Amino acid sequence: MSAAETTTAPEAPEVRGEITYLEAISDALREEMRRDETVICLGQDIGAFGGAFKVTDGFIEEFGASRVIDAPLAENAIIGAAVGAAAEGLRPVCEMQFADFIACGFDQLVNVAAKLHFRQGVAVPMVVRLPSGGGFSGGPFHSQNPEAWLLQAPGLKVVAPATAADAKGLLTSAIRDSNPVCFLEHKGLYRTVRGEVPEGEYSVPIGEARVAREGGEVSVIAYGSSVHLALDAAEELDEDVEVLDLRTLCPLDTKAVLTTARKTGKVLVAHEATRSCGVGAEVAALVTEHAFEQLDAPVRRLTAPDVPIPFSPPLEQAVLPQLDDMKEALRELLSY
Amino acid sequence: MSSSATDTQTIAVSMPQMGISVSEGTILEWHKAVGDPVEADETICDVTTDKVDVEIPCPATGVLARILAEPGETVPVGQPIAEIDTGTPGDAGVEEGGTPVPPKTLRANRLDGSPSPSPSADECDRSAFVSPVVRRMADEHQVDLSAVEGHGIGGRIRKKDLIAHLESAEEKPSRPLHTESPYVPDSPAPAADGGQGSREPMSPMRKAIAEHMVRSVQTAAHCTTIVEVDFSAVASRRAELKPTFAEKGVPLTYLAFVARAVVESLEEFPALNASVDDDDIIRHPDVNLGIAVSLDAGLIVPVIPKAQRLSLEGIAAAIADVAGRARDGKLAPDEVQGGTFTITNPGQFGAVLATPIINQPQVAILDLEAIVKRPVVLESDTGDSIAIRPMGFLPMSWDHRALDGAEAARFLGSVKARLEEGIA
Repeated sequence: MSAAETTTAPEAPEVRGEITYLEAISDALREEMRRDETVICLGQDIGAFGGAFKVTDGFIEEFGASRVIDAPLAENAIIGAAVGAAAEGLRPVCEMQFADFIACGFDQLVNVAAKLHFRQGVAVPMVVRLPSGGGFSGGPFHSQNPEAWLLQAPGLKVVAPATAADAKGLLTSAIRDSNPVCFLEHKGLYRTVRGEVPEGEYSVPIGEARVAREGGEVSVIAYGSSVHLALDAAEELDEDVEVLDLRTLCPLDTKAVLTTARKTGKVLVAHEATRSCGVGAEVAALVTEHAFEQLDAPVRRLTAPDVPIPFSPPLEQAVLPQLDDMKEALRELLSY
Repeated sequence: MSSSATDTQTIAVSMPQMGISVSEGTILEWHKAVGDPVEADETICDVTTDKVDVEIPCPATGVLARILAEPGETVPVGQPIAEIDTGTPGDAGVEEGGTPVPPKTLRANRLDGSPSPSPSADECDRSAFVSPVVRRMADEHQVDLSAVEGHGIGGRIRKKDLIAHLESAEEKPSRPLHTESPYVPDSPAPAADGGQGSREPMSPMRKAIAEHMVRSVQTAAHCTTIVEVDFSAVASRRAELKPTFAEKGVPLTYLAFVARAVVESLEEFPALNASVDDDDIIRHPDVNLGIAVSLDAGLIVPVIPKAQRLSLEGIAAAIADVAGRARDGKLAPDEVQGGTFTITNPGQFGAVLATPIINQPQVAILDLEAIVKRPVVLESDTGDSIAIRPMGFLPMSWDHRALDGAEAARFLGSVKARLEEGIA
C-alpha cells in the first residue's frame, strides 16, 4: 500500500513530565521483548529505519532481525503472518505505519484473527499498533481514527491510551493478552504528551476507565486526544467538570461510564473520530438505556463530522474538534 | 428556499440560493407585516437578483415575528431575512387573553463564546420541561416544582437548581413532618413553694447516662419483643436450693435463674451476643454479661466476664458480688466495660412492662419484669383448666440492624423454655 512514509508527527513544545507518550510505547515494547522471547515485531521499516515514528529505534540492534522483522508493503501479509505466528505460540506486535492502512489488512484482522478463537478454539495473542489521529495536515489517508470499524468486529479488544503511563501500561497488557488487541496510539500525542511512567515492567488492566478529573456538574467521557482537550477546557472554564478517560474501548468499562453519568446527570462524549455509529453513539445509548432517570440533559457528542479529514490546515481545524468547541459544548451543557 | 430551525418555536427565513452563481438578493417588497399570520409555502416577500425576481415562500405556518431586511436591502445568500414564530394564533403563540407574545429572536451564533448562563428573555420558555432526574428527585423529596426557581436554559429547572432548593428547604423547614396540635395545654401549676421549683445541673453520671441513652436511640434500630414466662418451675427449684445457697452466703434470686438461662441461650444464638461497629457485626466468643444495677444517683452496669463458665451458683454469687460493690461504689473501672449482653431488672420494683434501651454497642438488652401471680389457662389431655401461676414478662429490646424479629423471638423462646423446664 504505502511507500516508506517520511511523515513525522507534529512537532510541539515539550510539555512537563519525564518521558513522552512515544517513548512510553517503545519502553513497553522493549520491556516485553526482553522479558518474553516469544514477543516479536513486524512492520514496514521498523528494523533498520526504526519505524516511521521511531518507536522501534534501536530494536533491531538489540533483538536482531529475526525478532524485529521488516515487512513488505502488504498489511494483509503482515497481519496474516502475525495471526499464524500467534496461533503457533508467538506474541507478534504488528505496526501499521498509519492506522488508516489497517483497511488493507482488514480481512486477516476481522475475519481471521478476531474469529479464530470462536471457530476453532485457537487463541490469537497478537497486537496491532495503529498510529491514528490527525491535526498535522496529513490528509484523508494519514489522519483517520478507525476505532469504530474495529469495534464492529467481536473478538477484537481495542485500547486507546491518552497518557504516557497508560500507553506503556496498556501496551504491556495488550502484549500479554491472549486475544488480538488493537492498540490505537494517537500521533498527535506522540511527542506532545509527557508524563511520569514507572520504569521496568508496568501494566494497566484492559477494560478499566480512569477518572482523569473529578467533578460534579457535567461529565466528559473521552479517550485519546480528546481527554486532553477535555482537561484543558475544564481548566480554562474553571467549572465542576468530571473527565472520564475510557482508555479501553472494548471491552468498555460500562460501570465507570454509568457511575459518572449518574453522578452528574449531564454527559458529553468526545472523540476525534467521526460521529455516526462511533464510540460516542455507543456510550450515549448505554447511558440513556441504563441511567435515564439520572439524566438532567440530553447526552451530547463532540466529534468530527462525517467527512474525510482535509489536507488544508484551516479546513482540518474546522473538522477536528478544537478546544473552543469543547468549551462551547461544556458551557451549553452546564447552562442547560 | 432555505430555512433553519434554531429552536422549537422560531424559524429563520434565509435568503435562498437562487442559482449557482447568485450570491445575494435584494428585498423588493414584503407581503406580510410583523404580527401577521403566515401559512407554509405562502409568499411572504419578493426578492430581486441581477438575473431574476423570485417570490420567497414561507417555510412554516405561524406568525411573522420579525423582518430583518427592509425593502431595498441587499442580503447575502444564507443570511436570515425574517423569523417565523411557529406558534399559531390561538395556540402557543398567543396567550390566554389573546395578546400575541413578543417575537422571539434567534441565538445569533452558537459559537459566539459568551452564551449567557442564565436564561435570557429571548430564549423560549422551557420551564415546563422536567428532565428525568429532576422528575425523579422531585418525587423522592415530594417537592412542588412550581416552587423551584429554574436557572437552566429557558428557565428550565436543572438538577443543580433542585438541589439548591432542597438545601435551602432544609435550612428553613417549610414542610414540617409533624403539625402542631391546636390544643394548648394549661401552663403547669405553680409549685407549692411559690412557683420556683428547682433547677440543678446534671451529675456527671446523669450526663453520661443521658448521652449514652440518646446516642443508643439515635444509633440502633430499636425493636422490642416480649415473652411471658411461667416461673413455677423456677419458684420450686429456688425454694429447694435457697437454704443450701444461703449456707454458703449466696442469695438466690430469680434474676440468677434468668441470667443462667440467658447465658445458655446466648451460646445457642450467638447473633445476640454481638456488637455493631459501623457496617460490621462482631460476634463475641465469651458472654460478658452486664447486670444493670440501680443506684441512688443513677445506674451502673457491672459486667460478669465469661459468664458461660459459671454455674447457677456461680452466677448468683457473681450478681450478688457486683451488685453489692456497685452500690458501695467499689467497682473497678474495667468491671463496667466489655459487656456483650445486658440484663436489667426493674421488676424488683414491681414494674410489669418496659422497653429498655440497648447498651451500645451491644445488640440486645433483656428486661426481667415483676413476677406476679396470674390466672393462666393450662392445657392438658383431660381438658383446659385455670391455675394460679407466678408469671413474668421478659421484654427484650434488640437492634434491627444486627438481627431480625424471628431470631429475637427464637432466642426469647429458648430462654422461656429453659426457665419453664426449671433446668437452670
